[in-house]
Formats: sequence, C-alpha cells, structure tokens
Amino acid sequence: MKKYSHLILILFTFLLLQTACKDDVDPIADETEDYSDVLHNIANNVILPTYSDLKERAEELADITSNLEINPTPSNLLAAQEAWVNARSPWEQSEGFLFGPVDEEGLDPSLDSWPVNVTDLNNVLNSSNNLTVEFLEAQEGTLKGFHTIEFLLWGEDGTKSIDEFTDREFEYLSAATGALANDAASLADLWLPASGNYIEYLLTAGDNILFPSQKSAIEQIVDALEIIADEVGNGKINDPLSSQDLSLEESRFSANSKADFADNIRSIQNIYLGMYGNAGNNKGINTIIAANNPQLNTKIKNLLEQTIILIENLPGTFSEAIFNNPSLVSEAQDYVRNIERILAVEVTTIVAEL
Amino acid sequence: MNSRFFLLILFIAASISCQKENLTIVDREHIRAGGETTIFKSGPDAFSYPLANLRTELVTKHFMADANFAAHFVTSPAPVQDGLGPQFNQTSCESCHIRNGRSNRPQYAGDVNTGLLLRISLPGVGEVGQPLAVPEFGTQLQTKAIFGQEAEGTLDISWVEKMITFLDGESITLNKPEFQIKNPYIPLPDDLQISPRNAPAVYGLGLIEAIPERDILQNEDPYDADGDGISGKANRVWDLQTQTHALGRFGWKASTPTTIQQTADAFNHDMGITNFLFPRENCSDQANCNQLTDREFDIDEEFLTTTSFYFETLAVPAARNQDAPEVIKGKQIFEEARCSSCHLPKHVTGHHDLEELAYQTIYPYTDLLLHDMGPDLADNRPDFLADGSEWRTPPLWGIGLTQIVNPNATFLHDGRANNLEEAILWHGGEAKSSVEHYLKLSKSDRQSLISFLSSL
Repeated sequence: MKKYSHLILILFTFLLLQTACKDDVDPIADETEDYSDVLHNIANNVILPTYSDLKERAEELADITSNLEINPTPSNLLAAQEAWVNARSPWEQSEGFLFGPVDEEGLDPSLDSWPVNVTDLNNVLNSSNNLTVEFLEAQEGTLKGFHTIEFLLWGEDGTKSIDEFTDREFEYLSAATGALANDAASLADLWLPASGNYIEYLLTAGDNILFPSQKSAIEQIVDALEIIADEVGNGKINDPLSSQDLSLEESRFSANSKADFADNIRSIQNIYLGMYGNAGNNKGINTIIAANNPQLNTKIKNLLEQTIILIENLPGTFSEAIFNNPSLVSEAQDYVRNIERILAVEVTTIVAEL
Repeated sequence: MNSRFFLLILFIAASISCQKENLTIVDREHIRAGGETTIFKSGPDAFSYPLANLRTELVTKHFMADANFAAHFVTSPAPVQDGLGPQFNQTSCESCHIRNGRSNRPQYAGDVNTGLLLRISLPGVGEVGQPLAVPEFGTQLQTKAIFGQEAEGTLDISWVEKMITFLDGESITLNKPEFQIKNPYIPLPDDLQISPRNAPAVYGLGLIEAIPERDILQNEDPYDADGDGISGKANRVWDLQTQTHALGRFGWKASTPTTIQQTADAFNHDMGITNFLFPRENCSDQANCNQLTDREFDIDEEFLTTTSFYFETLAVPAARNQDAPEVIKGKQIFEEARCSSCHLPKHVTGHHDLEELAYQTIYPYTDLLLHDMGPDLADNRPDFLADGSEWRTPPLWGIGLTQIVNPNATFLHDGRANNLEEAILWHGGEAKSSVEHYLKLSKSDRQSLISFLSSL
C-alpha cells in the first residue's frame, strides 16, 4: 500500500510536469517536415527562369526597337509590338512573387508604373532634352517602363501606324526599351547565386534572418499568390468592368489585357505546380496541399486551369468584352476571386498548421 | 521515508511550476501587440495585412484602399490619377513607405529616390502656432517637379563621425548626416531652419488614434515634477477639421492630430495632390507655381477618407521569440535602463468609430509625448509646442521587422542609425541616463537588449 501511494505520487508528479508547460509551446517551433525540395524547386525552376526569360526578352525588345529607329517600316513596327508582347509575358508571370529585389530596389515602379504620364511624355517629346537611357533612368516610373513603351508603340487608340511616328518618338522608344532591359537584367541578376543571390533566402529558409523557418518562406510565397489574385480579381478586372471605363484598363493600348490577366493566373499556377514550361519537378505548393487535402488540391488545379481558359476565351479584346460580354467577364472575375478566397482561407490555414 | 519526502517536494515543485505557468500566460499579453487586431506574420509582407479582427466587408474595403496607397499620380490633364505636383517629393504613398514600412535614407547628395524629405521654416510661429513658412518655398522642400517645371531644390548631405566607447573597451563609430539645400530655384534666406524627416512605417495608426487623450496627458510631466529626469509634454497642434487646437499624435514631432489629417497633409505636401483639408497647391503664392488646374480638388473626399481608412486598418504584427532567454533578459534590461519610461509598453484604447479598434489592450511602447533628445538629435526647428530638440517617442511595435520588410531601411528621424544599437546610442537629453546604463552593460547584455527590441 505504501509502495502504491508512492507510485500514485510519481504518476501525478509526472503528469503535472508534462502538462505544466503545454500552453507555452510555440507552434512554430514544432517544425517536423522538410520542405527544402519544394523551396528549391520553386526558386531554381520557376522564379529564376521566369526572370531570365524577362531579361532575355527585354533585351530583344531593346534590339528590335533600335532597329525600328533605323528602319522604320510597318513590318519592323509589328516586330517591335510582338517583342513587347513577348517581354510582357514573363513579367506578368513574375507578378505572383512580387517580393525581394523587385520591390526593395524600386524596380517594380520603374518597369511597370501605370498610368502613363502622357502630359509629361508629350512635354518631354517637345523639349530639346537628349533622349538617352541615362535621361530616362532619372525619370519617374510613369514616364518609362512597359506602359510608356506600349503607349508609344500602339498609340492612345491602339491603331498607330508607322507614318504617325516622329523621330523623337523613335528616340524615346530606344531609350525607354534600353532602360527597361537594364532594369530587367538587374532584377534577374539580383536573384542569381553568382550575383545578388537573393535566391539564397529561399534555399536556406529556416536558417536566415528573412525566413527563420521554412514555413515562413512558404507563407510568404502563398501570401504573394493571394496578393496577385486579389489584384487581378478586385483591381485589374474589376476597375474597368465595374465602372465601364476603359481608361482604367491596364494594357488597353496593346489590347493585351487578356494575356496579362491569364499570365498573372499562370504565375500562380507555376508556383502552385512547381513548373515553368518544361522546367520544374512538380514540387510546388501542390505538394503541401495534396498531403493534407487531396480533394482541395484537385479543385485548385482545375480552378487555375479553367480560369485561364475563361479569360483567354473572352470574345474579342478585353475592352470589347467589357461592353459586349460583361457577364462572361464577370464569370471570369468570379473564378479569379474564388482563387483568391481559396488561397486566403483554405491554403493559408493548411500552411499555418505546418 | 526519504524518497517519499523527496517525491512530495517534487510534487509541490511541479504544482508551483504550474501556477507559474498561469502567471506567464498573463505575462505573455504583450505578444499581441495590437490586442485582437494583431496578425501573426514575420516575413517581408508583415506590415501589409488588415486588422485580424476586421469585418469581412471592411476587409474588402481595406484591399480597395490598398489601391489608393499604390496609386501613382500623373500630371494633369489625364483621365485617371492626375493632379501630381507641380512640385512634389514622390508620386505615390508606397514610393516612400516601402511595403508600408520605413523609407530608405538618401544614398548620396541629390538622391531624389528617397522617402526622406526636408521640412523647412523661418524662426517664429504662424497664427495658430505652426512653423513659419519660408516665402517662395513653404514648409517643405519639394525636390521634384512635373516636366518643364522647377523643383525647389535638392538635398545635400554630408556626414560627421562620432566615436562611442563602451565601458568594456569596445568602441563604435557612428555617422551623423547634416542636410543642406542644393540648387534652390531662388536663393534661400540665411535664417532657414531645416528638419529632415524619414518616412515612418504606417501600420497601427488606428490604434494610436484610439488611445484616450486623458491617458496620454496623464503621463505628462513637463516640469519634471517627479524629478526622474524625464519630463514628457504633449504637443498641441491645429486640427483642420474642428478648427481648434488638439493633441498631436502623429509624425516625428507629433504635429498632426488625426490619421485623416496626416494623410491629407502627405497627399498635399509630398505629392502636390489637393484635397478638402488642403485645398491649395503646396506651391500657392510661389513664383514656381504654374500648371494649376481649375478644378476644386485633385482627389475627392471619398478617396481621402478611404486612404486614411487603409492606414487605420493596417495591422500590427505580433511579438516573436518571447521564450528565448536573451529576449527575456533583454526585456528586463529595457526596464532597468528605464527605456520603458518613455517607450511606455502598454495602453488600452477607448472608443473608436471603427469598433475593431476600440477597447483593445495594446503594446505600442510609446507615451506619444515629446521629450528632449539632446543636441545630437536636435533639428533646431520647433513644430507647434515641440521645441528644436524635442521629438515624439516613436512606437516600437514591429520595429524588429523593419529591415525584413525593407532591408534598406534605417532608423531615427533622419535615418542615420543603420541598426537598433546605433539608434540607442544616438539617444541623449532625457534619455542620457538610459544610454549611460547601456554603455556599462556587458556585450552579451547589450545583445540581449537588441534581441528584445528585435523580437517586437
């Protein structure tokens, strides 16, 4: 009996000691799974090649517009417009990860400010300033980058012909595409291991000041996806649609808005699936979701694919669709908003419990 | 018998440790720096979330308002977002408040891509006690202009070294920037007063606004009646909406009373965007003021109030690593060095129209009062009741995430401090004894204090 009471006391003591600190356990400290493969794949096989494509195609755009200045022919104008569309695609596909150098070094406003400061642009064109890359690098984002180049290549109503160009516009274009190529190259280089090496933060997540855990890096990646889904659904599509105002449409001069939005969703898809074209080993956010909720994973994959199809299948240009097929545009918008909600709620909840 | 006695002791010890746990739960209240509004995020987007308890429909409104924060303004006439300038510092809110956090300080003389600006004035005060505007320049130097117009000037910067030696023999060299104005569009008066102001982080403003005025005033001790070397004085500033004097809460010198007035002021002085609180261009009455539009305001009342709502509903991130021994030690040193006398940890908010902000127990680590910070930090430019060496105690919540959100961000009003230790060392005046305490600490204790600050 005496022995027995000892045992009870021991048991009780143990129980107390065990439970005493329960409330105190930090859930973040309880990391068990290793997500290195997911982070390495996303960083090496999605983010790096996206930026490397951007750098390469921005360079091509600069070369082709320089050629346009020397040989201003209709076919060279077409080639320059095509080069703009080609360079635009990897940029839009990079908007699902707008963190790091793109933000810290002021590259986003320099590459992609909107709207264009048309009043100042005309004043610059009418001035005697030397239109060089250096001159444009010193100007505000609203006087350079994708949309200023777009405005110059297509004109306000998107129908600009080669005869309508002035010499100063050719000069401005060459300088602006040169500045764009420099920015794109900086952005790509700042991620590269051999240069700025921002990629290291993702590769060594769990062991650096930016991402003290792998989970925190995954949270950042998912948050960035949610941010672009929100921007497409509640900004880029919503602003022109809800007010029926084309001046609020981002890539309206080039009639490239549908491609812009589809590429933004592709950006989410790339990170989600851990694939960029043929690059990648399919270890993305899907790996994490599939392990926790396979049905949700299937749902997200289908939703991303269907959303891209819905956007690309809108009849005519986005400007036309707003007026002629607003219900189809609304449907696409609902799909995008659905992506945003699933990322914000279901995916975020799973990641929070990693 | 002995073993039984031992077990009994162990049992009691375990029970006590249990009670202690209950106590630590109360002690952990400060982790939720913004009470129920707190978000648990620590990455580069840590300053970019709406209040955790915000109603769903207001979350939508918050994200709509985010677009205003990101909106780049252009020269009139234009179909959207026009009215920029003619003189300005930057074209959008986010150009200075990087990811809702602090700005980069200028990297070189003439650097215009910075969120640091110069407030300027002449000796004396205006009719409601405000700084006296400089004729042809106003109260802020705009370093940019729309194309074809003249900027007011650019900033010139030179650095002065200062060496600090710790009691343990280690020393550190600090750098202090001195600002001048380069290439003014017309000559500047000789008695010009310049105050550099780095763009601060913009989260948690709604909670600051919701702290009851009486609770702030209760900590005032303008004549240091209690003899602790720390005075603390509230600023009384001009409220444009009520047209009366009011308690100043926002800005480096607490020169603005409300979030909406702070927002409206920034639109007007930083971007040249007129609004119902600041209906005139920042260059009105100046020789360089052309290109005025004939419309009433560049942004309407809804745009302004929505933008202000964005700042009010940006959440404060939670404190982290509170169980780490060095953080616990650092927190103790924070008290011992009496940092907490001005960086007052706790407040309870009162009524606020936005009920999510009301009656929250919060840990901003500020008394929101003005303190003399000594000659090294002095700007020698009074701002309402703040004299030339007084500054508002800035909040410390989220400060440890500053350089995770923007790795180029630095600390203090002119961005001179590259890290938190440098920021501590620049404190003077009423904080002199705290700095002396810090200088006497061992290296590991100094590191503990930094760890505590970094955990906020």
